[in-house]
Amino acid sequence: MLKFRLDPRTKILLLVLVTAVVLGGVGGNHMQPFVYVLSVLPAAMLLSVGKVRKAMRGMLLILMAYTAQFLLMGKIHGISGFLLLFVTGIWSRLLPGMMMGQYVMETTTVSEFIAAFERMHVPLQLTVPLSVMFRFFPTVKEEFQAINAAMKMRDIRFGGGNMVKAIEYRIVPMLSCSARIGEELSAAALSRGLCGERKRSNVCRIGFGICDRICLVFGAVCVLYGTAAAIGVIS
Amino acid sequence: MKEKAEKLNGKDLINIGIYSAIYFVIVFAVALLGFIPIFMPLLTVLVPILGGIPFMLFLTKVKKAGMVFIMTLIMGIMMQLTGMSYYALIVGLFSGTVSELILKKGNYRSTQCAVLTSGVFSIWVWGNFIPLFTNIDKYFSTRQSFGQEYIDTLTSLMPTWMCPVLFVSCFVCGVIGGLIGRSVLKKHFVKAGIA
Amino acid sequence: MIEFQNVTFSYANDERAGTVKNLNLRIPDGQIVLLTGASGCGKSTVLRLINGLAPHFYEGKVDGRVSVNGIEPKEAALHELVSVTGSVFQNPRTQFYNVDTTGELAFACENMGMQVEEILKRMEKTVERFRIEKLMDRNIFHLSGGQKQQIACASVDVAEPDVFLLDEPTANLDYQAAKKLKKIIAIWKSAGKTVLIAEHRIAWVWELCDRLIIIKDGEIQSDLGKEEMEKISSKSLIEKQLRTKIEMNPLSLTRGVRSDREISISKLAVSYGKKTSMMKFADLSIPENKITALVGENGAGKTTLLHCMAGIIRKYKAKIEENGNLIPSKRLWKRTFLVMQDVNHQLFTESVLDEVMISMSRENEEKALEILDQVHLKEYAARHPMSLSGGQKQRVAIACAVASDKDILLFDEPTSGLDRHHMELTARLFLALKQMGKTIVIVTHDSELIESCCDAVIPVKEAVYE
Repeated sequence: MLKFRLDPRTKILLLVLVTAVVLGGVGGNHMQPFVYVLSVLPAAMLLSVGKVRKAMRGMLLILMAYTAQFLLMGKIHGISGFLLLFVTGIWSRLLPGMMMGQYVMETTTVSEFIAAFERMHVPLQLTVPLSVMFRFFPTVKEEFQAINAAMKMRDIRFGGGNMVKAIEYRIVPMLSCSARIGEELSAAALSRGLCGERKRSNVCRIGFGICDRICLVFGAVCVLYGTAAAIGVIS
Repeated sequence: MKEKAEKLNGKDLINIGIYSAIYFVIVFAVALLGFIPIFMPLLTVLVPILGGIPFMLFLTKVKKAGMVFIMTLIMGIMMQLTGMSYYALIVGLFSGTVSELILKKGNYRSTQCAVLTSGVFSIWVWGNFIPLFTNIDKYFSTRQSFGQEYIDTLTSLMPTWMCPVLFVSCFVCGVIGGLIGRSVLKKHFVKAGIA
Repeated sequence: MIEFQNVTFSYANDERAGTVKNLNLRIPDGQIVLLTGASGCGKSTVLRLINGLAPHFYEGKVDGRVSVNGIEPKEAALHELVSVTGSVFQNPRTQFYNVDTTGELAFACENMGMQVEEILKRMEKTVERFRIEKLMDRNIFHLSGGQKQQIACASVDVAEPDVFLLDEPTANLDYQAAKKLKKIIAIWKSAGKTVLIAEHRIAWVWELCDRLIIIKDGEIQSDLGKEEMEKISSKSLIEKQLRTKIEMNPLSLTRGVRSDREISISKLAVSYGKKTSMMKFADLSIPENKITALVGENGAGKTTLLHCMAGIIRKYKAKIEENGNLIPSKRLWKRTFLVMQDVNHQLFTESVLDEVMISMSRENEEKALEILDQVHLKEYAARHPMSLSGGQKQRVAIACAVASDKDILLFDEPTSGLDRHHMELTARLFLALKQMGKTIVIVTHDSELIESCCDAVIPVKEAVYE
């Protein structure tokens, strides 16, 4: 079977494309055909790595959102219609970006990220914080879940009533746990020689294959079309 | 001590990453509210205030030049990756530089300077709103699907004079966030030995 | 060879804990050394002086001379020491830089700028020796604590240092996982490496060690060779406030207790993760007003079981009976309080007193102070919970449980990483709680804790359905 593996740089480019065009609305109305393509792309990507359930669920929600918009547009008014359009609008715009983000996060290792940044000549001062961030997101999630679990158990006067307290009681333990984890993480990383003076090597073999080329050509078409539309070549 | 401008070491860089992650998670969670029109301008209030707590804790780890600037860059990059505009990055170049200067003036110790930095740093949030003012028609041409009401509400919320208002709001709320952050630091983290 | 000459060190931000005073020590190549002593005695500091984290990361002043194979760690940069010393830390969750196992193994060598072919060759060698083929190319976040610790060992092994330093590596591990770690140390031993292990739990590695160093208040209290180690009796270990040297599988301690009242949980089925798979538990009965230990291997679902009882996991099917009467699971949640393994997650307020007060249905300072007195924390009432030691934080959580009037107290690994003194203190507290009429359920792998206070020991097993 053909192994569908993309270079991290291609993934980042696709992520930027999806979020910029679908969520950010760059390029305006001319880009509408690309919006549809880029809305389907993340699901296809997730499918390519065997995340069938996630892909299906996401695609179904996007389709539902579009269908609802198509059926309701211009037919209902007032606050309820507004809310409905609004919710479906968010879904159809936000989901592709989130799915793409998930794809990138789940299929890229920290060291592939570092390799990609190094190839792009990003300095170490940015590569290290970005890779730590990438590594730290799941930790933030774990900590938050654990704290929430603890709050749930002591369902005493938290959350309800005092908004400030509710925020304080969540952010403070979260920060103090994260600060401690960060400290330990730094100690471990430094004892393994991170940020030494020698140039790092990297065992990941990244590079552009045929799949990357297809994606890059697609990206180029996207950008060219968008630019052409913007300066009025295509109307 | 007579020493040349100290280089950032591994511990500093890792700290930037960790606090950027926490800050970004909070920003992202709050920003999702921005899809409700009324909350859109309020983001310049909520993000700087809530972000102030982790940011002030981050500043206690900042003892060298460059750390805040890198964090601003990272926020700009993250905005790019999440489909916001590149203006955040451009604005960040300026606000990040000014933040650095303020911190340096306070020798990386003064809490007043830290609070002020929290205000200046928060201006990157404003960068995300620039496209709304430079080209509002284009901005909305792709948001038809949200319905005319959404567009009308947002347009009415975003007249051009809002542009400087939002700028000031980012700064002022950043300062407020910094003050809240400072009191949380005193109340919790200093006692807990973290800050 | 590692040599300490008149070494004194104290941390810049905390002058009391972990100080080392006038230390003189020589460790010849190839020795497996066990360092032990009470919490805060300075055994971790000794390791940090060798790997350079003190003073490069943990700031402080070093007097005297430390040398490792002729290199002085305080003079060298941390990255120069990677090929000299390799460190494994206590908390398996925090010592990874990568999200995937393969990247983690290569990490140290990549930082040294080693040739890719050489790194791959070394990785292959390590994976084969450690027999961790199955763990390669996996997400570290999805591994068990024991597997994470195996990866941590492997990742330092790839850098091929001469000295391995392990700082409480089994604090969060169960009996089986510690056994696996022991195998790795045996591999290092046969390769002639020097290994230093700082530990409270000493049983798992006792027979491999050539030397035992007991540290007290930053000084060497005793330094015993192999023969002396063999002669030392369990009793004299206890006198020295140390943990036992006898390895015991907690599962072998399984026993029941007669009780007129009990809560039985049967047909418990929980769906876990995002998968559709169900975890099914064998039926079990928990005697009321007794101390019950739940034991079982990693992944047997002990923590899941506690979370179900505490109402943290609420979506499950079960038949819960009290003395034969069916009760809804909601009723059980109302009566339970869980002290989590990482107690930091459940401390929210700015003072110990506040923490206890918000747990009460009606705030009552007098009563709160009384409860704090019972858990020996009265003098800490005004302190910030996060500024306390691990054991003290745990007692704050216990005080909250008492204050909330809950009668079933659940504990997840309450003695992980505790020294003998604190373990005994915890055991005594459990007995006191029992006196107060509480039902206590402990998930633990600590045989000594079980021996010192538990009435019943119940294995947690997955149910087998035909």
